[in-house]
Amino acid sequence: MQLDLKTIEALAPDQASLGAAAKLTKRSNWPRLEAHEQLPLIWGECQGSGSNPYRVAFDTSDYGYKCTCPSRKFPCKHILALAWIGATAPASFARVDQTPDWVNDWLGRRRKPGQPPATAPARAEGKSIDEASRPEEAPPVEDAAAAERREAAQRKRAEDTRSAVSAALDELDQWIADQLRLGLAGFVDASSERCRRIAARLVDLKAAALAGRIDELPAKLMALRGEERPDAAIRELGKLVLLAKAWRAAPDDAELKRLVSTSETRDQILANPDAVQVESDWEVLGEKIETRRDGLVSHATWLLDLKSTTPRFAVLLDFFPASAGRRSGAFAPGDRFRARLVFYPSRNPLRALVADRLGDVAPGAWPAFVPDAAGDPLAAYAAFQDGAPWLSDCPVILPAGAIALDEKDGAWWQAAGDPHGIALPVAGSVNQTLLGLDLAATAALWNGARLELLASQSSIGRLDLS
Amino acid sequence: MNELDQAGLARLRDGWISGGGAFELAPAEWKEVAAASSPDEQERRLLAVAAQALDVALRPAAPKTLKRRPPLPVLALPMLPERLRPSLRAALKYAADARLKTRVATLVAGRGFVLHPMDWMPAATDQESPDIYAPWVDWQAGADSEKQSRREDLTAETWDDFYPAARRSALIDLRRSTPALARALIETKGAGEPAEVRLALIELMRFGLGADDVPFLKSLSADRSGKVREMAGRLLARLGERGNPAGGGSEDPTAELAAFIEEGKSGFIRRRATYAPIKPKSQAQQARRADLFATCYFGDLVARFGKTEADFIGAWQFGVDDGADLFLVRMISVSGGDAAVACLADLLAAAGGRLAILGLQLTARLDSGRKRVLIRQILNDAQNLAALTLVEGAEAGWLEWGDLAKGKTLPALRSAVSGDNDVTRRNAEQYLEAIGFLASPVAAEKLIGEVVAAGLPPASPSLSLLRLNAALSGNPTK
Repeated sequence: MQLDLKTIEALAPDQASLGAAAKLTKRSNWPRLEAHEQLPLIWGECQGSGSNPYRVAFDTSDYGYKCTCPSRKFPCKHILALAWIGATAPASFARVDQTPDWVNDWLGRRRKPGQPPATAPARAEGKSIDEASRPEEAPPVEDAAAAERREAAQRKRAEDTRSAVSAALDELDQWIADQLRLGLAGFVDASSERCRRIAARLVDLKAAALAGRIDELPAKLMALRGEERPDAAIRELGKLVLLAKAWRAAPDDAELKRLVSTSETRDQILANPDAVQVESDWEVLGEKIETRRDGLVSHATWLLDLKSTTPRFAVLLDFFPASAGRRSGAFAPGDRFRARLVFYPSRNPLRALVADRLGDVAPGAWPAFVPDAAGDPLAAYAAFQDGAPWLSDCPVILPAGAIALDEKDGAWWQAAGDPHGIALPVAGSVNQTLLGLDLAATAALWNGARLELLASQSSIGRLDLS
Repeated sequence: MNELDQAGLARLRDGWISGGGAFELAPAEWKEVAAASSPDEQERRLLAVAAQALDVALRPAAPKTLKRRPPLPVLALPMLPERLRPSLRAALKYAADARLKTRVATLVAGRGFVLHPMDWMPAATDQESPDIYAPWVDWQAGADSEKQSRREDLTAETWDDFYPAARRSALIDLRRSTPALARALIETKGAGEPAEVRLALIELMRFGLGADDVPFLKSLSADRSGKVREMAGRLLARLGERGNPAGGGSEDPTAELAAFIEEGKSGFIRRRATYAPIKPKSQAQQARRADLFATCYFGDLVARFGKTEADFIGAWQFGVDDGADLFLVRMISVSGGDAAVACLADLLAAAGGRLAILGLQLTARLDSGRKRVLIRQILNDAQNLAALTLVEGAEAGWLEWGDLAKGKTLPALRSAVSGDNDVTRRNAEQYLEAIGFLASPVAAEKLIGEVVAAGLPPASPSLSLLRLNAALSGNPTK
């Protein structure tokens, strides 16, 4: 490793990046730090503000780099921090003789090595690694009156937000009543324009999360067959009514605030004593990546708890701007790892953060979950809806079954040994090979109308279906 | 949900679809739940109840006619171990087309494994994938009844129990072991098949082709399909049967072709005949010559000059006209006898350079040893390594490190990957893929080391097939 702090200083885009990187050099921020025994490569996973750790790789020979964070600064603070640790504490890196797949992917895509920053010394101007290393000055002690003023201002802001959101929900209620009055046939046809308009109003009134959900409604409707759209519209609008009512009944409820206005930060969740924490072995079931109309990409990584006797799931949810381009996730479907997850407080805790990643777990089959006594594969969905009827996607583990086609070549999951009984329609098209395989168990998301397949266990092992 | 509720929900849905108040259409119990002071609120409450009913109480009705496919057949080899699947997927991802992907499957099959069906499946029309995949080809082709290709001997009685790909595979085996039995089956069962199937069956006669096949092939001269007659004629020509023994007239195409070839003499003391192409005078003549080479039989042509096939090949002046050389080699590949093909392959391999590459036209008819000689020569010359991807029926995983190290290929690859020329570098990456198919695990491993040391990024996707090959080192090619 031939890194020195001058190089890092020269690489940094500005002083602020160096300052931010300095804070990330604590070993606790890096669940994984590795260096190749022969190649000039270091890489690691940095726990950033997203729910997934960022994957960071750095070539110490030509200073090429890669980070999965959405920052538009190049290199980002994670790269600088990794290089910084490499320069100052190389012993922190475990020496390994193989590069992980995600590092291989990056290396494979690199066309030309980067230019050493030493050839551009001017870039170091105005930046100082010494300054960035200095401990931050303690904030001035606040006097009691100032603290009171600050808290009062916070209360005022919270009250204003609550009033605005309340007004937003009033407008939403009126809008829903208008759609019913005008007819859902017309709503389905003009959903894009109508949803856009009310979503814009909701954003103005600080109900940003709700606005995002309504913005996605037209895409959901268009993904269905024409004859199914009115029912889907009834379902979605009805859920919005329920959500608005629930919020009015408990405006301080964390889950409802998250669904209507804004979400908590990572630090708030980690500091929340009520947040459920689960340390277990997890398998990445699959990913769901959607580009939203508001220009954000939502990246959901679904996990299955391998130690639970009943199916328990978690979802790591990240958002980043679509303009930032394709971004690889921290996990690949099928990955298994031990980790402590902290769940966002919720009636059905699903959304979670990786608090500590504690190493990899050997591949294998899923646990033999006890099936529902009544043999209903959607019993979990009914319970899920009892707790939070305003939600849609519910992860389920389906028992043994297979995929079959209807007359229009639409795919259905069908329970084994019950050819005329339970069958559920599958979203989108399926890999034709799947039609010839018996599925011992299948993980999927059920939204009341369609299954989105995530993964299956079969006689030929695990199948990635997401 | 009871029938009354369902009927009420249907009325509500109809009401909301067309617009206007629907409260009065709701089931009585729902109205009680949804009662409110304002009509809008009543509608919203009803909407919430209806949404929950749709979500939880109603399930999409499964059609009565859901179609299941027969189970995907289990193949006779074990599946590639899970730990190797990432390498395999990388190799498949890098393979640019279906033919190159099939080569990946061929390499893996050579090492005793089949691919996971979610990673790769042969197409329904695939005839290039290893025989082990025949049951999957048939499955892909939409085998729609309960029967599956059985693993029993192919006989007239079991003929219909085999799907086409499995039957093709069994017939090839039979032609190699007991050709007369296979011929009898083709004769008996082929007669009733449509022309396209008959043609595919007759084409299989090329395996184990021998003098005993002549009467049957001659009987096909009366076949109602022109393509079948043509195929039978070529096979007969390979056996030394003259296609146009009468000939000689002004309409005789072989005579017309012979007129494009000039007979000469060479040598001072011991004069010997030479044959060289005459330069065509126009585009039309050139096209006509190409047609004649493609349709005439080699045996007829050499008979016109009163020579044996081997003598004619020895007397041909290669290098006078590249186009004519190519046409002649193709002609021999199609209708030349086995001895002529072997003689020509030896001659071209010995000549090396451009002529060795011409020899690749013959690979469908060459034995394993001659194919290897040709490939080694091409690697030794390193003139056109791209041709390596064109070798038909090439075997996987036999090329030793010595074959690479002693020729010009290795220095050429080293130079390409260390240079700045992007085009040369990209070409070299394609050659690495081609060699990744041919190389033994040891050669693959060493080649990776060499090109990485020369400057190719260690994780370059172009190394993926070599890496997979090397990773399968515990399973030498069978």
